[in-house]
Amino acid sequence: MLGKKLTHTINVDVPPAMEANEAARIAFEHDLPLSRHHFVEGEHPVVRIEHLMKTFDGETQVLRDVNLNVWNGEIVVVLGPSGSGKSTMLRCINLLETPTAGHILIDDEEITGKSSKEVGIIRRDLGMVFQQFNLFPHLTAKENVMIGQTKVLKKSKEEAEAEAIKQLEAVGLGDRADYKPPQLSGGQQQRVAIARAVAMHPKVLLFDEPTSALDPELVRDVLGVMRELALYGDMTMIVVTHEMGFARDVGDRVVFMEGGVVVEQGLPEEVFDHPKHDRTKQFLGSIN
Amino acid sequence: MRNNRRDKSKGLLSALAMLMLACALLVPTTALALTTNKATARPNEDGGSGVIGGLDTRLTWEGTVEAGEEVSAVTLTLPDDGTFDDSSTKITVLEGLSRASVEGEAVASGSKLEVTFSEPITEGYLLRLEVEGMRFPSEGGDVVVGGTYVNQDGEQQLADSKPIATIANTPLQALVASLDEAAWVQVWNSNPFLGMFFKPQLLVTAFATLVPGWLLCLLIVVIAYPFAIVLGLIFALMKISKNRLLRLIAIVYVNVLRGTPLFLQIYIMFFGLPMMNINIDNNVLGVIVIAINASAYLAEIFRAGIQSIPQGQYEAASSLGMNYFQTMFDIILPQTIRRVIPTVTSDFITSYKDTSLLSSVGVMELMMFAKNLTSVSGNMTPYVAAAIFYLIVTLPLIKAVGYVEERIAHSERGGGPRPKGKTAKTSAAEAGVKLSELAVHAEALDDEHAYAPTLTPSFASEV
Repeated sequence: MLGKKLTHTINVDVPPAMEANEAARIAFEHDLPLSRHHFVEGEHPVVRIEHLMKTFDGETQVLRDVNLNVWNGEIVVVLGPSGSGKSTMLRCINLLETPTAGHILIDDEEITGKSSKEVGIIRRDLGMVFQQFNLFPHLTAKENVMIGQTKVLKKSKEEAEAEAIKQLEAVGLGDRADYKPPQLSGGQQQRVAIARAVAMHPKVLLFDEPTSALDPELVRDVLGVMRELALYGDMTMIVVTHEMGFARDVGDRVVFMEGGVVVEQGLPEEVFDHPKHDRTKQFLGSIN
Repeated sequence: MRNNRRDKSKGLLSALAMLMLACALLVPTTALALTTNKATARPNEDGGSGVIGGLDTRLTWEGTVEAGEEVSAVTLTLPDDGTFDDSSTKITVLEGLSRASVEGEAVASGSKLEVTFSEPITEGYLLRLEVEGMRFPSEGGDVVVGGTYVNQDGEQQLADSKPIATIANTPLQALVASLDEAAWVQVWNSNPFLGMFFKPQLLVTAFATLVPGWLLCLLIVVIAYPFAIVLGLIFALMKISKNRLLRLIAIVYVNVLRGTPLFLQIYIMFFGLPMMNINIDNNVLGVIVIAINASAYLAEIFRAGIQSIPQGQYEAASSLGMNYFQTMFDIILPQTIRRVIPTVTSDFITSYKDTSLLSSVGVMELMMFAKNLTSVSGNMTPYVAAAIFYLIVTLPLIKAVGYVEERIAHSERGGGPRPKGKTAKTSAAEAGVKLSELAVHAEALDDEHAYAPTLTPSFASEV
């Protein structure tokens, strides 16, 4: 079936981006279940990763050759064992890591090899939610959500505040607006972090293991917020996670990474229930 | 004490010599004035050089007998509130350098002291009266010693002395005087240690005397410190800058200043700058030296503080699109300041104490006053008083540092995951649901994240 062929083509032969786009067009035309995302004819991917490589300290090669396209409004869940490079890939997308080689295009615009000033502008379009939340502990929840808007987007304080309240309410923390991070639980902190990222209205939201540092009972709240965002938020999301339930229910597409390359990708139920690669089978087997 | 110094000896031998001289020089002359040479008073300020009214002191009056005179009595007069009561007078008569002895009797009554001589004092003789235990008027001011004398022609007016500056007897001086009298003070002071380090009278005097020095210390450090903070911040940012030259400058600055004694830095600035014809007021120069010295330490404190902020804070700020200055001034530095407040306060305490070194170059700060008072009084108590002045500032600050540290430790728990430990309490049912996910957690966390929380053993075994 075509899904298999595409997976194979993308990862082994490393097709140029146009071919991947073509694949999307075909997927759309033939209504093929590569992703639950509804492709639009002629649409370009919002994130286009080509031959991405990342080497740390000149020896540890974390990303060997990553190719991945993410379309507007798509929810892509990236799975993989630790050390597979999924977090590094995510951090390369908003240039927290500088790619060693390869290209990353956001809305057809190259983002690698830019000056630090340009990088700042690029990052406005890329929201990030961290495993450790990384809220600013000296600011209240509301101020955390406001600071990017006022300092970077140069919004007025009133405007930013209104947006902050709106986003905090959206994550169910309207009543915690004036609390400082130390007064919030981990789950609440992570929801504030999500509100902070969403308030910037980025083109793409990147989630780097958003629930891994949370107590199990707090994971559900955060996943709930992410699920709502994915289903009703009209947001493009790339989620690195170990939450298989979330991947299966919410993901438009699941990407399995291993050894610095994308090994397999496709509809969540395809990847989970009928994995094609041995490594995928092995990984899924180890957690089921 | 002062009473003990009263010298009641009259000197029979000198009286005899005087008699012989008087006989030899007995020549009738016309009446001229007994000239007042001087009138001085011994300082009676504890550890100071002032003459305080209303307290025992010694008046020294000198006059020269003019040609043809024979002085048989002298009466000294003080302004009304002055008193010679309970005083003792030593009479010395000199011709040139040799000393004559004259029998004399001094009778004190209130502000008058009448001295009569057994033999008239003749021409060319110097008459010195040392009146121990007299008191000037307690309101202070310039006191003129006047009076009369008696020669062969009868009573004559004595020329007024030059005014003696006296200090009003304040409650403080009255307190010191009363301590002087108090029995317990005498017992206390008879202990060599207590008397040398904690002499009550001197402690009281020192507290009053040291205040200007203490204020100067505070002024120097309070003015210097904001400059030190700004300088320190600049050098801290330079030291973590990506620019090699800036880094090098900051490293040299910080290491040279931290690697040499402040004492040396003070000497170089205070003696070096004038040699280059750069003359700055001592107090201002003191501020500059303290500011520069403190800035080097603060630079290191700030650098460490900035670098203690987790990388995640930079990443979060970057991912919002904030630039270097926004990240620094809106995110990193506000957190750094909270963290370094205790260390900076400690450094402030050090700088405050370091102002004492400025006494070595003549800045009139606390130590300088204490040193002066000690050299005048020959007692260590002023240093103890200075120590108390230092402690007045440092002890509350030390206390505050402890309090702030506690507060910070309390609030620092935010910004990252809260401490774990509740994991094991998760109910079995809930645990069952999450079991598969947790297995992945455990695997991922163990390998990938040094910062990751660990599962409690009981739970891990279930997995």
